[in-house]
Amino acid sequence: MIIEQLPIINLLLFLFMALIIPLLKRKPFKITLILGFIVLILVFISSGYLLWYVNNVEIISYTFGGHETRFGIEFLVNPFSALFTTVISGLALIIYVYSSGDKTEGIEKKEFGRYYVLLFILLLSMFGILYTNDLFNTYVFIEILSITTCAIISIKKKKDTYTSAFRYVMMNEIGSLSYLFGVALIYMATGFTNITLVSESIQTAFSAYPFNIIIALGFMIIGLGIKAAIFPFHIWLPDAHSSAPSTSSAILSAIVIKVYLLVMVKVLYSVFGLDILVEMNIPIILLILSATAMILGSVFAIAQKDVKRMLGYSSVAQVGYILLGISLLSLAGLEAAFFHIISHGLMKTALFLSVGEIIFYKKTRKVNDFDGMGFIMPVAMGVFSIAALGMIGLPLTSGFISKLNLGIAVLENNYVIFLVVLILSSLLNVIYYLPIIILAFLRNEKYHYRMTTIEHTPKTMITPLIFLAILIVALGLFPNVIMPVIESAAKTLIP
Amino acid sequence: MKEIIDIIVENINYIGAIALFLIGLRIVVIHTNLIKRIMGLNIMGTGVFLFFVAIGNVTGGVVPIVDPESANVIYINPLPSVFILTGIVVVVSITVYSLSLVIRIYENYNTIDQKELSDLISEENNDH
Repeated sequence: MIIEQLPIINLLLFLFMALIIPLLKRKPFKITLILGFIVLILVFISSGYLLWYVNNVEIISYTFGGHETRFGIEFLVNPFSALFTTVISGLALIIYVYSSGDKTEGIEKKEFGRYYVLLFILLLSMFGILYTNDLFNTYVFIEILSITTCAIISIKKKKDTYTSAFRYVMMNEIGSLSYLFGVALIYMATGFTNITLVSESIQTAFSAYPFNIIIALGFMIIGLGIKAAIFPFHIWLPDAHSSAPSTSSAILSAIVIKVYLLVMVKVLYSVFGLDILVEMNIPIILLILSATAMILGSVFAIAQKDVKRMLGYSSVAQVGYILLGISLLSLAGLEAAFFHIISHGLMKTALFLSVGEIIFYKKTRKVNDFDGMGFIMPVAMGVFSIAALGMIGLPLTSGFISKLNLGIAVLENNYVIFLVVLILSSLLNVIYYLPIIILAFLRNEKYHYRMTTIEHTPKTMITPLIFLAILIVALGLFPNVIMPVIESAAKTLIP
Repeated sequence: MKEIIDIIVENINYIGAIALFLIGLRIVVIHTNLIKRIMGLNIMGTGVFLFFVAIGNVTGGVVPIVDPESANVIYINPLPSVFILTGIVVVVSITVYSLSLVIRIYENYNTIDQKELSDLISEENNDH
């Protein structure tokens, strides 16, 4: 059957594209761009079809080489992985279209090809992480993802990118090896690396070898926490995300850290199961971490003078929101977290891309230089404002819906204190996003209504931005369109 | 006393693996020399790999190459060793990548010491 092979075909399409780019070196660069666009469209369609298929027909399981799942690698396409691969490919498509007009800021012309090679391998590894149902295979894909993200940060020939990439690679590698240690301990106690088989035998393993499971849980949470920039381990994120080219920052902030959070969801819910987590008091620990992330991430963001660093710290706070939803261990909490992953993906992409456009034309990234920017670059600043209002959580944007869902989920579990933290964090968001909007649109009358000062930007950069803004508002107005898929994705993890 | 020594001897592989992991972690976190930190990463990785291989070991087992003539032989578990082959390749590629970054850092800053680097970077930021 061809449908069973679709997930592998998705991965192979990315790999094919990554391999063919160096071969097209002597041809005009447009051919590469168009081919990449076709590949992304194809993958988007096929993952969308898979999403429909697994929700309406059946879950797809594919074992490589026909080995038993005990020995071989299994790809599992369930509503969870199908939903997020669709989201990732959609966001990647938008960012790709933007990056083709952007001339990918700060990268030399002969490096363009390499940038796209890295981009496609990055997408390949993220798809692999989501599809695979094997803990060790997840590790391999995580490592591919680490190397390509580090390389995509350090591709810009600037001094500070090297040091921030080095810090990132060190932190990341500690995280990966911790995760691998956790896998080793689980393998020692259960004898499997396949997630389904592990989850069947983990309860007996827990009563026989409790220390193994506890230490494995600790190692895996810390390892994935470093990679997902959960609060005390976030120190690499602002440097790495601010020194990377704008399109890479968008990918890193909107997609890559989310993928690690999704792995964490998989590990917590499918591998260990709720009983062990509750027994170990993991939810309380994670809740406290997420609350500190929500407050301190926003507090750090207020102090930043550089827009991209500010957005980086804001991501730290947003990871806190998602972690809050995950650690409630309830269906409503998980749904809220999934919705926020999608809506934050849209908003952060919009923010980074619009800031990227401003950096591209105005060569400035200081918050103070945004004076009157709304009259010079109305589209970019308009999209920035919509996304920033979404981050604050104003009604009519998707940010409002995700905060509403989170608030309801928190109240369901009677954690009123975290509702207070949620509102406080939203107010802190106001403090650092609103001044930029005020500075750009409401001050400095000298640019007022003079069409000649408006910058002309290429259509390939403007269209994705407008599309993102429309999506943010549409998701805020009609959240029920995607709620059923999110619900079924959450239900695969909490039976 | 004898019991403790017995436990240590029995689990020497695991203890060695955890010791290597911790030594490596200490080097990565404490040292300021970038090359040494990469070495620490490798030591950490070796610790995890030793742990994995030690899981696969079966007392009295032989190499898992099936010989039809000799029946009733206990084989060691080959799966962890196979995992580790992949793991070694991954760590080598990470090492290569980070060493190439160190070369770039040295070309730009003329130092591979973390402390001097952060001093240089903060000086540059103050200049602007």
